[in-house]
Amino acid sequence: MAVLDDLQQAIISGNRDKAKELTQKALDEGVEAKKIVVEGIAAAMEVVGEKFRANEFFVPELLIAQRAMKESLSMMSGTPVDHIGTVVIGTVKGDLHDIGKNLVAAMLEGAGFKVVDLGVDVSPEQFVQAGKDNSANVIAMSALLTTTMGGMRDTVEALEQAGMRNNMRVMIGGAPVTQSYADEIRADGYAPDAASAVDKAKQLLPA
Amino acid sequence: MARCAVVFLPQNESVWVETETTVLEAATAAGLRLQTPCGGQGRCGKCLVRAGEGLSEPTDSEERVLVHSDLADGWRLACQAHVVGDARVTVPESSRVVAPKIAVEGAEREALVAPNLRKIALRLPRPSVDDPRADLNRVMDAIGAEANRPERLAPLQELPGILRRSQYHVTAVVAGDRLVAVEPGDTSDQTYGLAVDVGTTTVVAYLCHLPSGRLAAVASDLNSQAQYGDDVISRIHAATASGENVSALSTAVVTVINDLLERAAYQAGISADAIYEVAVVGNTCMMHLLLGVPPAGLGQVPFSPSFRTSQTVGAVELGISINPAARVYVTPSVGGFVGADSVGVILASDLHRSEGLRVAVDIGTNGEIIAARDGQLYACSTAAGPAFEGARITQGMRASVGAIDSVGLDDDVRYHVIGEVSARGICGSALVDAIAELVRAGAITESGRMLPPEEASSLPEKVARRLVENENGTEFVLARAEEAYGGEPVRLTARDVREAQLAKAAIYTGIELMLKQVGAAPDDIEELLLAGAFGNYIRRESALAIGLIPFMPAERIRPIGNAAGVGARLVLCSVAERQEAEEIARRVRHVDLAERPGFYDRFADAMMLRPLPAAGGRGSSASQ
Repeated sequence: MAVLDDLQQAIISGNRDKAKELTQKALDEGVEAKKIVVEGIAAAMEVVGEKFRANEFFVPELLIAQRAMKESLSMMSGTPVDHIGTVVIGTVKGDLHDIGKNLVAAMLEGAGFKVVDLGVDVSPEQFVQAGKDNSANVIAMSALLTTTMGGMRDTVEALEQAGMRNNMRVMIGGAPVTQSYADEIRADGYAPDAASAVDKAKQLLPA
Repeated sequence: MARCAVVFLPQNESVWVETETTVLEAATAAGLRLQTPCGGQGRCGKCLVRAGEGLSEPTDSEERVLVHSDLADGWRLACQAHVVGDARVTVPESSRVVAPKIAVEGAEREALVAPNLRKIALRLPRPSVDDPRADLNRVMDAIGAEANRPERLAPLQELPGILRRSQYHVTAVVAGDRLVAVEPGDTSDQTYGLAVDVGTTTVVAYLCHLPSGRLAAVASDLNSQAQYGDDVISRIHAATASGENVSALSTAVVTVINDLLERAAYQAGISADAIYEVAVVGNTCMMHLLLGVPPAGLGQVPFSPSFRTSQTVGAVELGISINPAARVYVTPSVGGFVGADSVGVILASDLHRSEGLRVAVDIGTNGEIIAARDGQLYACSTAAGPAFEGARITQGMRASVGAIDSVGLDDDVRYHVIGEVSARGICGSALVDAIAELVRAGAITESGRMLPPEEASSLPEKVARRLVENENGTEFVLARAEEAYGGEPVRLTARDVREAQLAKAAIYTGIELMLKQVGAAPDDIEELLLAGAFGNYIRRESALAIGLIPFMPAERIRPIGNAAGVGARLVLCSVAERQEAEEIARRVRHVDLAERPGFYDRFADAMMLRPLPAAGGRGSSASQ
C-alpha cells in the first residue's frame, strides 16, 4: 500500500511531521489501525533495526526514527492493538542512565510489545511488583555502571524468591554487561544493542 | 630639626626624613615593607639592616638580640636604630616583606605570593644570666606570637643540638601558625612546594619555589591506577571490591607522585628534602583513593562522597618522600563528580569573581562544566567518556609526538603532526577537525553516518579515494601507509565518528542544561573557557561547526590550559587563594544533569553534527 510505504519511509528517515501526516492519511483512507501498526510502524522499525546492525544507523538516527514512530503510534491510541507480549523495563537501582534503556523500550514498542517503563533507579521489589501487576512475559534491565550492575543479580533473586521465574523471562543489557554475566546471574538473555534486544525479547516469548 | 637623606640599597629608594625617625619608619616612607613580626618591639631580630654611619648608637634591645660581631659589622635593627644623619642603609631580601606575583599562564591573573609554608632565618641571642629563656621560647619569641608549639616531637628533640652547633643562627620552618622544624643556618631559600593535579588518566606535578611562587620544574606521567581500569567507575568498583585494593590504588598514585617529585627536584637541582608542602587537586574519586578512603558512595545514586572538605595530612603518613615535616593539603571538592580539580579551574580562571555569564568546560574523561553568573556558581559533570583524550578511538592517542593534531580539507586532506614526524594516530583536536571537515565536504552526514565509497561520487576525487570499506565498515584514510609510522595508515573509522558524537552530545547537553539552570541562552555567554590540554589544541571553528559547544563568535572562546593544575599552584603559594578555594567549594551549586527534565530529548538533538542550537529546521521542530 502506497500510504504505508510512505509512512515507513517517513519513520525511517525520522521525519516526524510527515509521519503524523501520513498516519492521518492512512486512517482517513480507512486503513485498519492494526494494519498501520504492523505494516507501517513495525515494518519501519525493523528496517531501522537492520540499518543499526549494519552500522549504517546509530543512536541519533534511532532517536529521531523513534520520535516519528511515537508520533504515529500516539494517533492510534483508543484503537485496540494486539500486543505480541508485555515487557517491564527499567534501569537498575543506583543507576540513572536511561538513554540505552529508552532506546530499547522504543524499539520494543515499535515491534509490537506492550512496554511498561519503570524509569531509572528501579529496585528489585519494584521490578517484582510491576512484573506481577502487568503479567509481564519479560523483565528487561539496564545498567551502565560496573558498580550498579549487581542490581540485576538482586532482581533475578527477588523474582526467584517470589516464585515468578517459571513464566517470566529476564533479559539484561548495558555497556558493562556481557553474555557471561547474564549466564552467571541466571538471566535468560543478553542483548548488546537496541536492535538485537527486540530479537532477544521475541525469542523469550512463550512459543 | 634637621632633615637627613636616607638611601636604601640595593633597592635604591631614597627618602628625606627628620632626625630621630626610626629606620623602619624611613623604610616605610620609602615604600619598603620590612618584617616586623614582633611589632617593632626590638625582640624578633627580623628587620635586620646594615649601615656604616648616620644611625644612633645601638639600643639595649639591639645589644640583646644581635651578636656582638654582627653589631660591629654594622648590622642593626631597623625598628630600633634612629636616623641621626645622612645614611646609606642596606636592606637584605630576608628582612623585606615581599609579595611577588605569580603569573598564571592562560588564566591571565596574578596572585599575591604568601604561602602557608614559610621559613624564617633567625640570629638568636645566646642564653646568658640576663636571658635564660628556654631554647624553644627563644625560637618562638623570635618568630612572633603567632606560632604554636610544634606538632611533632622531632623538632623539639633536635632543637638543643641544632641551636648550639649553629651558633644560634637557625631557620624556623612555619606551616600556617605552627612551628614544624628548626634547621641549622639560613636555609630560607631552600623552600619548595609541590602542586599536584591527580587526573584519572594523567598526574602532573609542579615544583614551586615558595617564597617567590616561581615554577621550578614540571613533571607528568600516566596514573598507574589504570591497571584497575581506565575510568573512575572501574576504579570505584575495584576499590569497593576489597580493602586491599583501596590501599593498592592509594600506593599506586603515591608511587607516581614520588617518581614525579624526584624527577622535578632533579630538574630543578634541589633535594627532595627542600619540599615542605604539597597541595593536591583532582576529581573526588582520586582524592578518596589518594588518602586510601574507600569511595563507597560514589558508585551509585546519589553518588555521595565520604568527604568533600579539605584535608591536611602528614607527608610521612601518606608515604610521600619529601621533608619529614611536610604536610599535604588536599583541596576541597564540590560533590561526588565535581571535584577539587573543578575548584582549581574556578580559582585559576577567576570565575568566582567574574561579572556577567562565563562558562568553563574541562574536557576530560568526565567533562565538568561550570557556569558563573554574577557571582553565582554552578557545576555539573557529564559522562563524556575518553574519546577526546584518544581512548575508544581506533587510532586515538594523547596530544603527544606523532599525533595528528589538526586536519584540513580542500581538494585533498592536509594534516599536521605534533613534532613534525610521521603520523602514528590522532588526538582529540584532530578528531574534531576531521569530523567537521568531512561533514562540510559531505563525506559524513549531519546525523553522523560516514558515506560508503559507492555513495561518495560527489566528493573531490582525491578525497573520495580515501574512503575505504573493509570488514570493520567504512573508514577514512587521513595519513596513507607511506606517510605513517610503521607503514600503518592512520584512519578515522565510522565507529570513531559515532564515539565522538556521543561524547560531544554529552558535553553540549551539559552546557545547554547548565544555561537553563541559570536562565540564560547561548548568546548570553560572554566568554567560554576551554580547560585541559584538549582546549589548547582544538580549533574553535571546528568545535563550533560540529556543535560540541553552543554556536557563538569564535573570539568569545578562550583556551586556558591545565587550569586545575594552575589552581593547585595557587593554593600552594598563597594562603589567601587557599581560603578562596575553601569558599568556592562551599559556594558552588552541584547540578545533577540526569535529574533535569528533558535530558534525553535534548541529548538526541545534541548528537547532530552541525552548529547548535539549530536555528529553525529539523532540530528545533523535533524538540518542540
